Amino acid sequence: MGEKGALIAKFLLVRVAVSVPVILGIVFLTFMLIRVGGQDPVAMLAGPMADEAMLTALRAQLQLDQPLLLQFANYLFRLVQGDLGVSWQGGIPVWGEILHLFPATLELVLLSVGLAALIGVPIGLRAATHPNGWFDQLSRFGSLAGFSMPTYWMGLMAILVFFYILRWAPPPMGRLSMEVVAPTVVTGSLLLDCILAGNWQALGSALAHLALPVACFTLLAAAPMIKQSRAILIEIMNSDYVRYARANGFSKATIRKMALRNAATPLLTFLGMELTSLLAAAALVEYIFSLSGLGQWGLNAILLGDFAVVQGYVLTLALFSVFIFMVIDLIVMLLEPRR
Amino acid sequence: MIKSFSKTIMLVIGMWATLAVPVVAQEKTLVMAMSATPKGFDPDIWVPGQIEAAVNLYEGLTRYGTRTGGNGKPEVDPSKIEPHLAESWTVSPDGKTYLFKLKKGVRSPFGNELTSQDIVWTYEKSAVQKRTGQFMRTAARIDKVEAISKYEVRYTLSDANRIFLGALTLHLPAIFDSVEAKKHATPEDPYATKWLALNTAGFGPYHLQTLQGGQQAVFVVNPNYAFKKPYFTRMVWREVPSPATRVALIRTGQVQYAEQIPFQQLTALRADNSVKVESVPGFGGATVRMNPRYPPFDKVKVRQAVAYATDYAAIGEAVFLGQGTRSRSMLNSPIAGAVSAYKYETDYNKAKQLLSEAGYPNGVDVTLEYSTNWWWEEPLVLQMQASLAKAGIRVTPKRIPSTEMLARRTINVWTVPFLTHLTSSFVPDPSYNMFLTAHCRGSSNVNANCDAAMDKLIDASVVERDQKRWLALLEQAQNLQADSATFVETFLPGTHEVFAACMKGYVWKPHNRLVWKDLTCAS
Repeated sequence: MGEKGALIAKFLLVRVAVSVPVILGIVFLTFMLIRVGGQDPVAMLAGPMADEAMLTALRAQLQLDQPLLLQFANYLFRLVQGDLGVSWQGGIPVWGEILHLFPATLELVLLSVGLAALIGVPIGLRAATHPNGWFDQLSRFGSLAGFSMPTYWMGLMAILVFFYILRWAPPPMGRLSMEVVAPTVVTGSLLLDCILAGNWQALGSALAHLALPVACFTLLAAAPMIKQSRAILIEIMNSDYVRYARANGFSKATIRKMALRNAATPLLTFLGMELTSLLAAAALVEYIFSLSGLGQWGLNAILLGDFAVVQGYVLTLALFSVFIFMVIDLIVMLLEPRR
Repeated sequence: MIKSFSKTIMLVIGMWATLAVPVVAQEKTLVMAMSATPKGFDPDIWVPGQIEAAVNLYEGLTRYGTRTGGNGKPEVDPSKIEPHLAESWTVSPDGKTYLFKLKKGVRSPFGNELTSQDIVWTYEKSAVQKRTGQFMRTAARIDKVEAISKYEVRYTLSDANRIFLGALTLHLPAIFDSVEAKKHATPEDPYATKWLALNTAGFGPYHLQTLQGGQQAVFVVNPNYAFKKPYFTRMVWREVPSPATRVALIRTGQVQYAEQIPFQQLTALRADNSVKVESVPGFGGATVRMNPRYPPFDKVKVRQAVAYATDYAAIGEAVFLGQGTRSRSMLNSPIAGAVSAYKYETDYNKAKQLLSEAGYPNGVDVTLEYSTNWWWEEPLVLQMQASLAKAGIRVTPKRIPSTEMLARRTINVWTVPFLTHLTSSFVPDPSYNMFLTAHCRGSSNVNANCDAAMDKLIDASVVERDQKRWLALLEQAQNLQADSATFVETFLPGTHEVFAACMKGYVWKPHNRLVWKDLTCAS
């Protein structure tokens, strides 16, 4: 292992060590908050015809009659063995459901953030090179509009215009048309599985079903991206070294490259934040477009008081965030070894 | 560069438009936009979506008769109970023993014939699970279920009662194909409850083909169904959680049925030629209930003051948009024996006078708790807040999570002093309904409605076999309940089912769920 390899290994070890107490804290808080939040799923699970004896039996069966700390200890014990419990609503193992649903949400978020970066960074760069010009004003208006529109409303409007009025979009009813045979599940990602199976009809249908939700999410993600890119790049454009480069007659293209290189670190960090925050926000988009992803599943569990699912959902979000920030920090470290 | 970008965009839109050809339902396939896929199918275990599916998978020994309603359409006749999976029955003179002769040739999708062993196994399973099926058994006072011969089954009741035959119309305790179910039993799970939770084995018109949780469930017709073959051979249940999306789907003809459509959208949908809205008043009333164990509701005059200070006309207009039916008792038509017992009309002066007599001349402060179990709760609470203020009853609305409401209003917990509620019952039997909602041991008694005189009347009505005396008991109980004013009876929100225009055959059933086998499509 070279010096760089050792550096990476040390970095990862430290980050993993730091992440463990963070994850434990999140697990503890989630566990306690949903239990002290006034929710009691027993009455709902037992049904409106349940008598007191049935409620008591069900409470004991779910171990909800035990002291809270003991319940947590049991949960933690099972968690370290990889057992996230089962959904009280369907008796399905939580871990299996996460593996099944996460790829759908990941597809939505990665495509949206990727597109947002492709749109937001060039617009931010152009706006920063001509601050207060017409393009800058336009981009500011655009990003403000993106900030102001609630995702829920944007989704509904997209359905109204592109599905209901224009009939361009497929029915917002799942990830694939009912007439299309789904590919064999290999990766869990519908797009990748379609490509691996060479099932182009299914790929077209999957892309068509993703188009509107991705467009809505992209607009949502692009707004802060434009604003952030502009702010970072204006600061860089006004820095001493860029002024020096200009004075030395460097071309605009070279200066843009230089600015982008220097903006990479804060932009990457911001991209990481976008990814993690959009993963949590995916629930609403999935809800409106019936995408059946992790967010829709988590949202439903919160409403139904399905504790094991809520815990599994929050844990997944936490682990994903930790992972993303670790990767971003690693890239930043490799880009700027001084840090 | 901009030009090539525009070309690419146009190309993508073009491809998308090509791919986005609306889905046309295949012949005899009915596509339904549902709020969630079923979380399970065992009628003993109450999980979201289970009842909506189970009423189409499992059927009872008896069924309600139908008659032609005032609008010329068929409707359920709650006074007539007919044989269904049972061919006939005899009853002992004391009314405690029923001998059912099963219809021969009733087969499950697995090809197994219904026998008395299936019935006995079903009740054994419910007894072990101690959940919903066991409750129905207790409510119908079923003491013993025995197989007499291959096609004969005997029920012994602890008391002769009027609920029993009505309870047997239900899908619970579900009559399972025990031969198939036993194949999936294990020593730890002898009644195959884990398998039956996610699979189906009944004698009903449909059975589960595939389930993709969160996405869709597909049901196909039971090829061996012993009665008239359903028109639709395949039912596709798609999960569409957003009500607005469900509306868009039904209006564009992508689905033929959409459930739980917001009340506010119904008027617009009725005017849409591509959609058909079927409305039935049902018999569940939207009520505001007072718990007499908490002051100031421990005083009957305060409760009556609340009833008089309620602006019923405003609730009818603003909350139920003129589409509700005024509730006049804890029992409402088509339940037999329903009378107009609830006499309260809006009268602020009378409300103020009653409050003063109860020791609250300067009015009273109360908190009205509600949840989101029913769409009308919040608007009703806000309307109550406005009207009660006119009589000096200052209401603070408080919204609480559904699960908290369910837990706190549970029998013998009863920690909500003032709340909104609707009792839904599967059996349109008056005694059963009164027991559920107003008896001290009733599982839908959410406000500690415990009055010994009331319990006595309800208990007497359950076992009374003389029709005249029975009707008199029902009337007395309804009047007593109205006088106690622990319920503010407002309106019956009704059931409103939204279909594609071609759909026909819908018949409302007391369990208030859509029965697929009744449906046909005219085009």
